[in-house]
Amino acid sequence: MENNKKSKFANIIWQVYKYLLTIISMFRTNIRDYGMYIALAGIFIIFGSMTNWVFLGPINFTNLLNQTAYVSVLAVGMTLVIVTRQIDLSVGYIGAFLGAYVVVAVENLGQPVWLALAGALLLTSVVGIIKGYFIAKIKVPSFVVTLGGMFIFKGLLMLKTNNRTIPTTNVFFQKIGIGYLTTYDIGGVDIITLIIGAILVTVLIFSGIKGRKKNDKLGIPNEKLEIFITKLVFMFGVITYLSWTLSSHKGISYLLLITVVVVVIYHLMTTRTTLGRRIYAVGGNPDAAELSGINVEKIIVIVFISMGVLALISGVMYVSRLQNTSPNHGPFWELYAIAAAFIGGASASGGSGKIVNAVIGSIVIMSLKNGMALAGIDANIEPIILGSVLLLAVVFDIYTRNVRSIDLVGIHYAKKKYHKDLIEAKEQFEIATKELKEAKKLNKEDLIEYEYRFTDFQGQFNKIKEKIRVAKEEDFI
Amino acid sequence: MKQKYILSMKSITKLFPGVKALDEVNINVKRGEIHFIVGENGAGKSTLMNVLSGIYPHGNYDGDIIFDGKTKRFHGIKDSVKDGIIIINQELALFPNLTVFENIFVGHEISKNGVIDWDKTKELAKKYLDMVGIDVDIYQMVSSLGVGKQQLIEIAKALSQDVKLLILDEPTAALNDNDSDNLLKLLVELKKQGITSIMISHKLKEVEAIADSLTILRDGKTIIRMDKKDVNEQIIIKNMVGREIDNIFPKRVPYKGGEVVLETVHLNSFDKELNRYIVSDSNIKLRKGEVVGIAGLMGAGRTELALSIFGNPKNYKISGKVLVSNKSVILDSPKKAIDNGIAYVSEDRKTNGLILEETISQNITIANLKKISRYGILNFFKQNLFAEQYVKDIDIKTPSILQQVKYLSGGNQQKVQVSKWLFSNPEILILDEPTRGIDVGAKYEIYTIINDLVSKGMSILIISSELPEILGMCDRVYVIAEGNQTAEFDIKDATPENIMKSATV
Repeated sequence: MENNKKSKFANIIWQVYKYLLTIISMFRTNIRDYGMYIALAGIFIIFGSMTNWVFLGPINFTNLLNQTAYVSVLAVGMTLVIVTRQIDLSVGYIGAFLGAYVVVAVENLGQPVWLALAGALLLTSVVGIIKGYFIAKIKVPSFVVTLGGMFIFKGLLMLKTNNRTIPTTNVFFQKIGIGYLTTYDIGGVDIITLIIGAILVTVLIFSGIKGRKKNDKLGIPNEKLEIFITKLVFMFGVITYLSWTLSSHKGISYLLLITVVVVVIYHLMTTRTTLGRRIYAVGGNPDAAELSGINVEKIIVIVFISMGVLALISGVMYVSRLQNTSPNHGPFWELYAIAAAFIGGASASGGSGKIVNAVIGSIVIMSLKNGMALAGIDANIEPIILGSVLLLAVVFDIYTRNVRSIDLVGIHYAKKKYHKDLIEAKEQFEIATKELKEAKKLNKEDLIEYEYRFTDFQGQFNKIKEKIRVAKEEDFI
Repeated sequence: MKQKYILSMKSITKLFPGVKALDEVNINVKRGEIHFIVGENGAGKSTLMNVLSGIYPHGNYDGDIIFDGKTKRFHGIKDSVKDGIIIINQELALFPNLTVFENIFVGHEISKNGVIDWDKTKELAKKYLDMVGIDVDIYQMVSSLGVGKQQLIEIAKALSQDVKLLILDEPTAALNDNDSDNLLKLLVELKKQGITSIMISHKLKEVEAIADSLTILRDGKTIIRMDKKDVNEQIIIKNMVGREIDNIFPKRVPYKGGEVVLETVHLNSFDKELNRYIVSDSNIKLRKGEVVGIAGLMGAGRTELALSIFGNPKNYKISGKVLVSNKSVILDSPKKAIDNGIAYVSEDRKTNGLILEETISQNITIANLKKISRYGILNFFKQNLFAEQYVKDIDIKTPSILQQVKYLSGGNQQKVQVSKWLFSNPEILILDEPTRGIDVGAKYEIYTIINDLVSKGMSILIISSELPEILGMCDRVYVIAEGNQTAEFDIKDATPENIMKSATV
């Protein structure tokens, strides 16, 4: 009876240990994707603790998300530009110029908002086509084309604003910039936000389960159940926290809503549509894409038009949030977007980069800005930290490029199974090493024989180690 | 005491993600011999040489390298060069925009306090060029020289670095017969001067001609080490492929004739960059169910002819007509060519055939996304279903359709390329060097696929530098030389001699 209890207890401990091993294996295998999430969590915790958790509190967190909106939207477009092996330096000033265009059209020319927006949309599309034409058709490097564009639109911004800050009081800009979705408060908490959160969680769970079933049907291996559930729990936690934080302040802002809509559309476009597949194919291998019947030039033009449209959205977000347009808007926007895309793991050699990760990259950047200001750190330090983070992120990405999958549970079983062989091989290897050393010291005539012996045992030892290293849990069931 | 073996590589094991490229490989090379390493593509020959030369540094592989009686741990190519191990790769490492003498001493310039002694450099360059028996102006740009001469300059460069062990990775792959012979003679000459060579080659004739011994690799394992006297072609092939191949070309039902599906009429292509005609007055016909070969030397304009038909992606200036099923069509983009039922399996699958970072299923479906989507939305279920089907039908060896194609062997990559184009439902399939760089076994499988396709009514155009392939697979042959169509043979009249004669007009 006593014994039985003991083994039961040991079993529970083993199950917990096994679960931990599984989770750690997952992190180590997918470190490339999860590294950034871990980094973001680290940043949150650091700034949280430095600011007595004000950083993560409802007011500041809402503010952080609103601040991030314009960079996120640019970063989404920039990711596709980078995926197709291009760069766009012009979008900062284009975005600022379009913001100015819309504000001036509404405030000074008395145009209705829709007309101003339509005009800006037309303008940015034409600019996108021109950029794309120069880059794709005439083959001018995008760096040069968009550098030119950057100067041109800096000048146009100054002309448009007449070198003055122009405030706006239009309802549209107020709503977009500082407005929130309708709320329904109960005890200081917005119920609508909570309900949206609940719906999201439900959708997540059901689509996750559906995906697993579909994979089963197709015979594509699913991730381990433990990992799937852990991920769900984690997502549940994040969404719960987000909806709670937002609902305890003012609910969901229009800025956040627009960002989410843009991100969802682009995420679906890149992962589920033929257009997305073509964009990544062009980035992965332009020559092969061309020969596969893909119009490479057209794809690049489309990517630059999309970038322009997102610059418009970004610019309007920015002027709306500040309730004015100014000749000082625009610098560094494009560089933040590029940094966000790279922090998010986009590859400069093209073909890879995820939309959602670019948004995470944007949040990393803005968290640094916001957090350091809140913690009262000298504002001049911020770019130094940001630059270092960017470098670290890219170095990390390169280092983890060829990470092999690992299954610690499998290794645990394998270690048990091959324990005796391993010890034996190790002993022999150590003896051979020692003998070789001595033979070298004595400069023996048949030194080479010792070398052979050494290599032999080294090989055997490594072979067993390798066998353990690649072991998988499935192999032991 | 000098060891008998200048080089021993002992139980070398090298892993790549998902692939064991080398599995306990052993190589022993005697001092002053010419040793061949033979094996199918993907057997691990190049990987082994990369281990030896330090491209994969010590610690990246298991096993030991014993060179000149000492265990060596190379941490980069610099270390191995310092010990006199010099590797000359298939892709030559010369600087095209530097002169011959500059090239020979790039990286180990003769200098004093960082200032280069050009007089001495030129003097020595001449000396080494004489040693390899090449007659060139040392002031000439390397880009203006042919591949054969460039190869020799690489060897001169190796000599200038005090080479003890010279490694040549498929040195004759890009050479014509004359240049190949010269190279082989040079190796024998160098042997007399005490330089040991390792040569990687597919060409068994070369093995017979100059090898002292050879090692055969298969699937990353050492199969056998043999001395020259025990060697004949049959034994080598048997050990290379692990089975006897009676017939390299599978039998096919003879071609019976059909209507013309593709025709070029006075087709001319002008390359604006080269400023010359690369295809002039091409008149070829391809009939339903027929296999037609395009023979010719490298650079004769065969690929250019194929690209001129396949939508002209390189923007040549084209005149003349292309008829598909007797109707004149304007094919000004690959997409239009695909829409007209033409598919083109490119010569170089890595640079313009496949998207290496993407998966098998993504690569197979990329040329016909319409078939797996509706209103621009992809249907992954269909995508994977089709991919599974091709993996099974074409027998692509892979653990999963979600494997990135960069991890596949050359033969399997080629099968992915063929699958991709079959998925576009073509009636006319252009195969540009369909078996370049793939092993004998995979070649046979590709040939079987070709036969299977023509028996179902597809028409196939094969561009090939390998005469046996043209003679073994085609019903009719066109020969091209310097852009001109110089001959047309029915297969029963075609011989290696008369094809070569027409190709070298």
